[in-house]
Amino acid sequence: MASSDRVTFRTQILNRHLRPSHSHTFSPPVSVSSSPCLSYIPPDLTEPASSFDTKEMRALLDAHNIQDRDWLFNLMIQSNLFNPKLRGHRVFVCPDYNQSMEQQREINMRRIEYLLDRGVFKGWLTDSSEESELRKVAFNERGVVHLDGACVGFSLNLLVSPCDGLKIRSSYPHSSKRQVLLDFRGGAIQFFGTKRHHDKWLKVTEDLGIKGCFSMTELGHGSNVRGIETVTTYDPHTGEFVINTPCESAQKYWIGGAAKHATHTIVFSQLKIEGKDQGVHAFIVPIRDSDGNVYPNIRIADCGHKIGLNGVDNGRIWFDNVHIPRENLLNSVADVSPDGQYLSAIKDPDQRFAAFLAPLTSGRVMIAVTAIYISKIGLAIAIRYALSRRAFSLTPNEPEVLLLDYPSHQRRLFPLLAKTYAMTFAGNHLKSVYVKRTPETNKIIHVLSSGLKATLTWHNMRTLQECREACGGQGLKTENRVGNLKAEFDVQSTFEGDNNVLMQQVSKALLGEYLAARKQSRAFKGLWLEHMNEPSPVILPQLTSSSLRSSQFQTDIFFLRERDLLNRFVAEVAAHQKQGRSKEHAFVLGHLLAEDLGRAFADKAILLTFIEAEANVSTGPLKNAAAAREEVMKLCSELRPHALALVSSFGIPGAFLSPIAFDWIEANSWPSSQQVP
Amino acid sequence: MASANPSNSATDQVLVEDKQFVRTLTLNRPKQLNALSHDMVYRLLELFLAYEEDPGVKLIILKGKGRAFCAGGDVAAVVREISGGNWRAGANYFWKEFSLNFVMATYGKPQVSILHGIVMGGGAGASIHGRYRVVTENTVFAMPETALGLFPDVGASYFLSRLPGFFGEYVGLTGTRLDGAEMLACGLATHFVHSAKLLLLEEELHKANLNDSDDILQIIDKYSEHPVVKDNSAYRRLHIIDKCFSCRTVEEILSSLENEAAKNKDDWISAALQLLKKASPTSLKISLRSIREGRLQGVGQCLAREYRMICHVLRGEVSRDFFEGCRAILLDKDRNPKWKPSSLDLVTDDMVGRYFTRVNDGNWEDLKFPARSNLPPIAVAKL
Repeated sequence: MASSDRVTFRTQILNRHLRPSHSHTFSPPVSVSSSPCLSYIPPDLTEPASSFDTKEMRALLDAHNIQDRDWLFNLMIQSNLFNPKLRGHRVFVCPDYNQSMEQQREINMRRIEYLLDRGVFKGWLTDSSEESELRKVAFNERGVVHLDGACVGFSLNLLVSPCDGLKIRSSYPHSSKRQVLLDFRGGAIQFFGTKRHHDKWLKVTEDLGIKGCFSMTELGHGSNVRGIETVTTYDPHTGEFVINTPCESAQKYWIGGAAKHATHTIVFSQLKIEGKDQGVHAFIVPIRDSDGNVYPNIRIADCGHKIGLNGVDNGRIWFDNVHIPRENLLNSVADVSPDGQYLSAIKDPDQRFAAFLAPLTSGRVMIAVTAIYISKIGLAIAIRYALSRRAFSLTPNEPEVLLLDYPSHQRRLFPLLAKTYAMTFAGNHLKSVYVKRTPETNKIIHVLSSGLKATLTWHNMRTLQECREACGGQGLKTENRVGNLKAEFDVQSTFEGDNNVLMQQVSKALLGEYLAARKQSRAFKGLWLEHMNEPSPVILPQLTSSSLRSSQFQTDIFFLRERDLLNRFVAEVAAHQKQGRSKEHAFVLGHLLAEDLGRAFADKAILLTFIEAEANVSTGPLKNAAAAREEVMKLCSELRPHALALVSSFGIPGAFLSPIAFDWIEANSWPSSQQVP
Repeated sequence: MASANPSNSATDQVLVEDKQFVRTLTLNRPKQLNALSHDMVYRLLELFLAYEEDPGVKLIILKGKGRAFCAGGDVAAVVREISGGNWRAGANYFWKEFSLNFVMATYGKPQVSILHGIVMGGGAGASIHGRYRVVTENTVFAMPETALGLFPDVGASYFLSRLPGFFGEYVGLTGTRLDGAEMLACGLATHFVHSAKLLLLEEELHKANLNDSDDILQIIDKYSEHPVVKDNSAYRRLHIIDKCFSCRTVEEILSSLENEAAKNKDDWISAALQLLKKASPTSLKISLRSIREGRLQGVGQCLAREYRMICHVLRGEVSRDFFEGCRAILLDKDRNPKWKPSSLDLVTDDMVGRYFTRVNDGNWEDLKFPARSNLPPIAVAKL
């Protein structure tokens, strides 16, 4: 095309933009009219061959149960239950945003039944081996992938682990311990119950013979579990517990599965024995018969439409003198004898409560790793789109420039891509300490899962927003998924513990370790605080490119940041206390530093786990591939040639991305628009 | 392409007929049921690439001489070549064959394959990837590789995995035979034309204007019919197939089939069980994983993965079942292969995993495809 023609062409296009109604007055030059249209060129053909094996990279990222995950994808892709849509000759497993809330819930239940029938949940509750737990986590991550409005992943949680929608937080105002937990109904039986419950309930729950839900949160109490108002008393004459909702603020709220499907719930309630409050305990309560009729003395209402997760039937429950057998108390830490004696090996109620809730970190683990998986979907879509969408020519004769060739676009997406890689390894580390948990690791799991849950879910929202914007107008279409994911996963920053509260938890733990070390004149131990035993790292005044890229330097600055914030936080809390304020009050006043410190801890943990993951990658192609880490810290322009391979390594099948990740021109063509909506 | 003047054998083995905008290519080794020799693969690739650039060509018709369209790759020749220890000769053959499959799958111009008679293995690879697949009352389709110690290759992990439900697993693992009506029903074929009308169809295609690819569709539609899938066809039991062949592992597939067999006496179930029990255990496991991965990948990735797999098969490091299968089925014809490992439980995940890794051998390379340009959206969608 002659340069003059090209200029005319550009002018014409600009004019069309500016004065669309007059576009017909321009007659395009012949050379242009012969091929006036853009055509989609798949980046898979034009991008340089990847310098590492994307398959091996995926194995590193996914770390475990890769074939199981693929199997789950296969099951979803091949079933019509998952809303397959043809766009541009490709099939996408599409969010069912055109369905009403009722329809989404219904289809969701059928999806669960289908997966159940295919054996996906085999062993989820009855097999507690490390291997089985990892498989469960893997399925949760994946299940969540396309979980539209009718979010199967969450239903997986629901089913295997029905947790109350805005899950569970417990606070420990006196001992400064605060647990944020969730769990699943089956999981709850596993954790809170003993053998008599396991034998009776676990298998039947796994088989969906009973559908459970988890009633912890109330209208008036969320994070502060110890403040819940539901009351249970014991009647020694009948040998039954009696459960009551004494006031409106005590109604159970956000109970996932309660509105429609659940037949049983685990109720968290204050237990009063002979007028004495023994603290929060958990009970199994039947709420519906198998035909779905709500039992007498139980009232259930719907939580209504939500900004996301409408496939989950969150409900509200009131109990009016509900009688249940004595055996329905989940008695892992305390029991009540037939004649009404309260029995517990743990005398101190604070400790009892802590022991009671300690195992329930699994929810935070799930949420953290799910969040990072969702970021991958957003990035894979936005980056693939940016590898095929062009905008503006730099010079008149040149073709328009690919979005991803603009440094600004790289700057927007690549740091998020890099962080997503790093956080994936941090998530993997969290999973591995979680499945190998022992009583000794409970504390680190609590701190780590709090910090990472907050950091990874925030990162996810930030990433999805950037990806939405990076897709321009196409990002607005629900079928392109990014915006939909934003709505579906927004609540992750709230459930399982408000992110800000969680960050304060982290700081509290760091403060505790600091004070303990000082008081006992011992070295710092655990929480990766050992660097505090060393002299403060020195940052050279003149930073060079190579020092910036060295992991030594990077570790140093992360340590330095944490050390600085921790020292300042300790000083601030001490200063408040000196003025006569309680420790709790001092802590509340120090929230700014507390949250920054929490972030510093989480970022440090992510960096360290990432560096460790890299060190564990030994040979061959992975030298290339560890690439990742190297790339991550490199300049965006150096990352650019690897962009496609890096998102391909996420291993997300095309059907779980969206039309703009592929031939968006064909997907938007007239013939395509004539297909089913 | 190295040679502009193909050898006589190659010219004889693929007959070319020019009619206006149409090129008809006839596979011409009727005695070998048109098994694809190295020369034929080479020649077809050369012709397809040339026609893509030639504005005088608007349609390619591919058919076979005699009672077969194509019974597969010339595996016997491959085995002869590599039994001397030269696995790379075999690898070269598959490199070319898979490249041909890729070119067909991403072809800018319509390819009409007339699948009259036998279509197996490599024959499926040379046709199913193309736009139109015309079957007749005489078509017999199968991917019989697992009985040969191989796995469904030639991009089968792409096209089998796209069949409804888990029918692809059934077809790929058992190697069962399908007739024309079943192929049409499941989507392997696009049209069913009675063989008596084939000549008329071809003639009309020769004469047509072909300015629009819809012209071709309309012409074939005119000669097509909609046969009824026979009552005892497994395709009518798709819900059972889905239930059994969606299982996670080969072992679970077998046991769920056995469950079904206990519940209802259905011939296809016992036949499927028999086929599975006769097949190489290693082949079954790598085939299942290949199809499952294939369902999540584009056609290029599928072929590249299959190329890795075939190289491992040829090197025989994990299992030499391919050689044993060829001996038992093609050479000695005793039909009694002695597989090693001999049962499914002896084939570990690690062993299966090795087929999917890069080949650790000097200058071995992953499959790279011929450059493509101006692909139509339908071809782009396969990537």
